[in-house]
Amino acid sequence: MKNIEFKSDSAQRIYNDYLHRVKSATSILSTPDQTDLLLEINSHIYEALQSIPMANEVESLLTITEKLGRPEEFLVPMVATRKIVEAQRTFNPRHVLQALRLNISNGIFYAIMSVGYLFLSVFVLLIVTKIFAPQRTGLFMVDGKYKAFGFVSNPDQMTEVLGYWFIPLTLGAALIFYVAVTLLFRLKKTKK
Amino acid sequence: MGSEFVTKWQSQVKKGTLSFIILSILKGNEYYGYELIEEIKQNLQIQLAEGTLYPLMNRLKDEELVTSKWVEQESGIPRKYYTLTTHGETVLNEMKVYWVEMNKSIKKIL
Repeated sequence: MKNIEFKSDSAQRIYNDYLHRVKSATSILSTPDQTDLLLEINSHIYEALQSIPMANEVESLLTITEKLGRPEEFLVPMVATRKIVEAQRTFNPRHVLQALRLNISNGIFYAIMSVGYLFLSVFVLLIVTKIFAPQRTGLFMVDGKYKAFGFVSNPDQMTEVLGYWFIPLTLGAALIFYVAVTLLFRLKKTKK
Repeated sequence: MGSEFVTKWQSQVKKGTLSFIILSILKGNEYYGYELIEEIKQNLQIQLAEGTLYPLMNRLKDEELVTSKWVEQESGIPRKYYTLTTHGETVLNEMKVYWVEMNKSIKKIL
């Protein structure tokens, strides 16, 4: 990307700092999306500079950036939307989680998705704890009655009934949640 | 107190009609972001928070109502031009019909 060059050092520093803030605000996105947003903001600043008298570069630049707003604020909805598109395209769990974090307040759909992913994470965590603390993780019964599923801090007087079958069963449950959440995401994509 | 209410209402009206305004301006023309902002300001005397335009354009693009392309410039700083899609034109026509009907209904009670 070609940067705008200013005669005034102060204007150049303000400009560089503003672009740096744009880069930081979009750093969660893929490189093409980051570049696209940066190019658009740069283009806006350049075109605005051409349309107003450049008597004072600092004043002009400050006016333009003030009208645009704080990158950390006005870019939020764009970053959130683009992250969703990225997550829908890749189905990479990291992108999906980031997209959900950014969109959790944007409706019930994302709230349900977040709960689904929370369950998924818990199941994965339980598989790990079953390996490192097998006596405390599993399906626990007391006197033939169901008592707990998962991790217990004090398994005394409880009988763990699944043994290492707990791992494939939990893995299966995690898989079901993963498929359900992914299908929901796909549904959202095709609903558009 | 009353004028504060009106100011808020005006802001809501502007916000609610901005996508309609943008699609209408884009009909038959292509504009880059800054040019579009200037067009809105000049024709409608609307003071637009400029940063709000880009998220909205992004949303319109996601909804496949507009499309965009980068066009290189002699300055070395390219412009991103927005154009209305066929789907965008259909949606715009539906919005126009609703707008005209709404306008008629409001005029009746004014």
